[in-house]
Amino acid sequence: MSVRRETVDLSKADLDFLKKIVESGGEKILLCVQCGTCSGGCPAGRRTAYRTRQVVRRSLTGLKDSVLSSQDIWLCSTCYTCLERCPRGINVTDVILILRNLAVQAGFMLKSHKDVCTYLLRTGHAVPITDKYKALRKELKLPELPPTAHSYPDAVDEIRRIASKTGFDKLVGFEG
Amino acid sequence: MSGMRFGLFLGCIAPNRYPGIEVATRQLAPMLGIELIDLPRAACCPAPGVFRSFDQTTWLALAARNLSISEGLGADILTICNGCYGSLKEANETFKEKPEKLAAVNEILKETGRTYRGTIQVRHIAEVFYKDTRIEKIRSIVKKPLGLKVAVHYGCHILKPTKHRGIDSAERPRFVDELVEALGCESIQYKDRMLCCGAGGGLRTGALDVSLDMTLEKIRNVHQSGADLIIDICPFCHLQFDYGQIQIRDSQKEYYAIPVLHYVQLLGLAAGLDPKETGIYANFVPADQIIKKIGM
Amino acid sequence: MCEVTGCLSMGEDGRVGVFVCECGGNISNEVDVEAVCKAAQGWDGIIVAKSCPYLCSKPGLDLIQSLVKRHNLNRIVIAACTPRMHQATFARAMKNFGLNPFLLENVNLREQCSWSSSGGKDAATRKAISLVRGGVERVRHLEPLESSWLDVEQRFLIIGGGIAGITTALELANQGYQTYLVEREPSIGGHMAQFGKVFPTMDCAQCILTPRMVEVGRNPNIKLMTSTEVVSITGGPGKYHVKLFRKPRGVDPEKCTTCGACSKVCEVEVPNEFNMGLDKRKASYLMFPQSVPLVYTIDFGHCTKCGKCAKVCPRKAIDLQDEGKFVEVDVGAIIVATGFELIDLSKFEEYGLGVHKNVITALHLERLLSPFGPTGGYLRRPSDGGDVKKIAYVLCAGSRDLNRGVPYCSRVCCMYSMKQAQVILDAFLDTQVTLFYVDIRSFGRGFEEFYQRAQEKGVKFVRGRVSEIQEGDSDGRLIVRAEDTLLGVPVEDEFDLVVLCPALVPSQGTTQIAEKLSVPLGEDGFLMEKHPKLDPVNSLREAIYVGGCILGPKDIRDTVSEALGAAAKGSTFVKAGKIELSPEKASVNKELCNGCGDCAKICPFEAITVVDGRAVVDSLKCLGCGACVPECKVNALTLHNSTDQQLFGLIQGVLAEKTDAPVALAFLDYDIAYNAADLIGLARIKYPENVRIIRVPTTARLGKKHILYAFAMGADGMFLGDAHMGAGPLSKASKITEKRLTEISEALDNSGIDSLRLWFSAVYIPDFRKLASTFTNFVSTIAEMGAIDENVRRKILKEIGPTP
Repeated sequence: MSVRRETVDLSKADLDFLKKIVESGGEKILLCVQCGTCSGGCPAGRRTAYRTRQVVRRSLTGLKDSVLSSQDIWLCSTCYTCLERCPRGINVTDVILILRNLAVQAGFMLKSHKDVCTYLLRTGHAVPITDKYKALRKELKLPELPPTAHSYPDAVDEIRRIASKTGFDKLVGFEG
Repeated sequence: MSGMRFGLFLGCIAPNRYPGIEVATRQLAPMLGIELIDLPRAACCPAPGVFRSFDQTTWLALAARNLSISEGLGADILTICNGCYGSLKEANETFKEKPEKLAAVNEILKETGRTYRGTIQVRHIAEVFYKDTRIEKIRSIVKKPLGLKVAVHYGCHILKPTKHRGIDSAERPRFVDELVEALGCESIQYKDRMLCCGAGGGLRTGALDVSLDMTLEKIRNVHQSGADLIIDICPFCHLQFDYGQIQIRDSQKEYYAIPVLHYVQLLGLAAGLDPKETGIYANFVPADQIIKKIGM
Repeated sequence: MCEVTGCLSMGEDGRVGVFVCECGGNISNEVDVEAVCKAAQGWDGIIVAKSCPYLCSKPGLDLIQSLVKRHNLNRIVIAACTPRMHQATFARAMKNFGLNPFLLENVNLREQCSWSSSGGKDAATRKAISLVRGGVERVRHLEPLESSWLDVEQRFLIIGGGIAGITTALELANQGYQTYLVEREPSIGGHMAQFGKVFPTMDCAQCILTPRMVEVGRNPNIKLMTSTEVVSITGGPGKYHVKLFRKPRGVDPEKCTTCGACSKVCEVEVPNEFNMGLDKRKASYLMFPQSVPLVYTIDFGHCTKCGKCAKVCPRKAIDLQDEGKFVEVDVGAIIVATGFELIDLSKFEEYGLGVHKNVITALHLERLLSPFGPTGGYLRRPSDGGDVKKIAYVLCAGSRDLNRGVPYCSRVCCMYSMKQAQVILDAFLDTQVTLFYVDIRSFGRGFEEFYQRAQEKGVKFVRGRVSEIQEGDSDGRLIVRAEDTLLGVPVEDEFDLVVLCPALVPSQGTTQIAEKLSVPLGEDGFLMEKHPKLDPVNSLREAIYVGGCILGPKDIRDTVSEALGAAAKGSTFVKAGKIELSPEKASVNKELCNGCGDCAKICPFEAITVVDGRAVVDSLKCLGCGACVPECKVNALTLHNSTDQQLFGLIQGVLAEKTDAPVALAFLDYDIAYNAADLIGLARIKYPENVRIIRVPTTARLGKKHILYAFAMGADGMFLGDAHMGAGPLSKASKITEKRLTEISEALDNSGIDSLRLWFSAVYIPDFRKLASTFTNFVSTIAEMGAIDENVRRKILKEIGPTP
């Protein structure tokens, strides 16, 4: 039986966290009445511990650490069902994306996601072509490489330069 | 930008994993009076589920870069994928609603010598077929009504957020059903038809088991409905259903072998394209019985 | 003597008292009332300038009275809340002071100054001083006026035959008044006739309603007119002239014995609206068994005129050629009680109403439970008539919704769903009822106890708004998905029947009648009451009272309370026997009039005619809009209490204090735009203090010379705000202003004033927030244009002369 402090001290709530969400385009969450329509229709919520409504409540309460460190916010498939049905017109999906941005800034990022960034920065594609598929393209009478960044290395340079300008490369720990 | 000339945005999954979708698209376009021009140096849209989750500014900049390529060629941009459509369309809407964001992104694009002026529209091939080409014209190129029982999977980003899309109802859409019916097929109602496939939002990469569980729920429902195959309008949903069934078979030992086709592949078959050319034999879940069923 | 206009109205013996109200801080927190008094003391003819915490209270009025006596004051300026609030109070008090009530000027320092001024205390005080100065300059030119009296018709018109209309009709009839009760359906009863039991007492609705309906039918003072609609209403308080259309019924009410033979032979079947389309009725039908009047009706919209019914009727009561009849009546006052309807939930596609047969609304369920409903009171699945073992209620369907529905709470759904649940559990022992709710609102007397009883009976409650309804696995059953937010888990269950609780919205009748009566609606689409706290059953038009769901969703008890209140207000008005007719009408100076007839042409109310070469004003028809005055090229017309001298004095006074900041004058019509400006203040929305509002009867009172004068005297911008067409009886005048704008703009341009400094805007009362942002935009626009050159001003003043 583990015994520890359960009471949340509301005076320690991080209201700057809420302010940041509001300023990034999430101002409508202030209207939330916790009706649960979002969680009620969430496909991920039906099969995991992710509760959309609760993430919003925790954000409104300023529980920054618990929200940003949790895996829950990464279980959303951005299907937009919650945003469509919310009776207060809250852009719930957009709020989840804002929280994800803040989580990444705070250093919470899955390795598998970092890998996808590596593919993008190395090839310009999140899902780069492989030999198997080059052969398939050839079989289907297409040029082996599509006319995308795969065929133009300078395009990859452009992407790297953008990523450097925005600081994306450092953000995701890209090592070149 | 108007008329039927579009910059073909390929994305990643269609050209790099399911090139049959690309082939079918390129072959169908002239049959329907659509001119497609290539967008050299286009890259990942960027995939909204991952990159918009990590940094919205970078997402906007990369999207604007792609949009500027098509704008530079004087054409609206046409996608064959819900994900690319969602990504580019949301970026375009953001620039319309908040011009200061476009200005900020163009500052970043200076690194590449590009500018996006915000003058083009973002289109999806299924909505172009429905709104611009129209059902009668689609019907007119059908050489062989296919007579299949089809489970239509709309996906999510084609319809939502409805306030930015304005294509069809998000709860009870009809337009892809009509496109399927135009090929002499029956669109079968199945449980939870509008459920997400589970691939998007970075879920497939970040929590594969959760994403495949969503797919399995859909597959079970489709199986129960008695449909012959699944039709999608998105290569990511396509990959999730096709390769996903194999992954589910291997991990859960549950397998229904339901063939998966992108609408352009189905239209290609109906329009008389050689099935080999539409790339369906490269699917993980064999599509042979479909070919047998339609008597090709 | 006024320097500019040289007018001697007040005479050398003019003695003005200025009284500034603190309004318990509402004014004095934002305006330095002492500074205002001090400034006033410095003006010509001001004998007394005093502030007071509450001028409308007894001590306040006593103070004024004592000062009037002591200093022999003969004109009074009261600077306080909006005249819409207390002008009547102060006017009555003037009589007590021994002064003519028209020698009083009300200055609005609260809604249009302290409550709405941005820019801090200095700015608000500056504005207050200029508004009071305007009031002082106007008061110098006020004339003592005497009202005339109109006999009030001792009859009422009640529009709407639901429980509200029925209650009001009986209340007035029992006081001895003749009432016309008009109802568009073939029977009275309204929605209450569709209900079974009512909360919280579980009374039978029919049992408490039917006796009243019967009483209405046989009360000699009530002329019941069903299948009747209002076509038009003209006239004014005390004498409204109403045109009604008795729709073709096809059946003579005197002859019909309700034998039902016609219905038996009728071959046309249509969905029965009374039973929400759950069963059918014939084209020849009785709305419901307890209909009053108990007379069949032919639905000519679907009748094929086959004639079978006419042949078989034993009393020969049927006339298939009935074309209906127009009826005209005169009444002293009108009570409107047109009720509610349920929102169309087809936009909420995730609920599947209209797609899944077993998804219904609560009103459908009410009929299913009714012993004389489509299933005789047995709970059956609409899809296949099967048993109903599990029912889910979806609360807040369309209510409290900023996305697709209405933003407000519909007030009755929590209670009626618990009521229906208890009725079901009592009658059908092994049925399970689950309410999916967001909040349980059980606020009224006996309501919370009712909630407890529902819990004790075993009604299940899940706190979670239903996200979607899917087809279930078997036979029309439905899966409901929600989150049990108290448990924090998504839940789903399969049900035989899902009952949606749709939002209550204004009935179509409400929207239509509001247009015909020119009474404004509120932001939420329901009728706007005169004052939400103190005058809740009065519309914004005199002698038009309202009650029931026309004012918003409510239950039967509150509806009846309001109906009784409306009856009381109506009877007080009519009982007085006479109504004071305002002297604020147009009149003609016969010496100056040349009989050109321009005024008669422009009058929107056909109140002026030319008789023997002179214009004559019918003071009953004249509504005092003032449109005729600027038309007259020989200055023969005047509008009492809005004379040119009064207007010029007011303008000059408001602009007397010179500032560096640009000043915009906003002329607002008293009925609508001025009211909207008050609402801005009530909502504490701020706009720049540079806007000085001047009240006019309508903007049509203003002509070229007033506008030029205002610019000449120091205005940098002029804003004209008037009623949108259809909002209020005087709204026709705003069209006249619009037409005059071209000419006025040209005159401005010719005088060197950019005509973009003159704006005209149609104002909607519900859209008052837009007016506030328009004011702010207007001030920025003229600030950018800068102040008008003094030389331009001087030139204009020279041209138009000191007494334009």
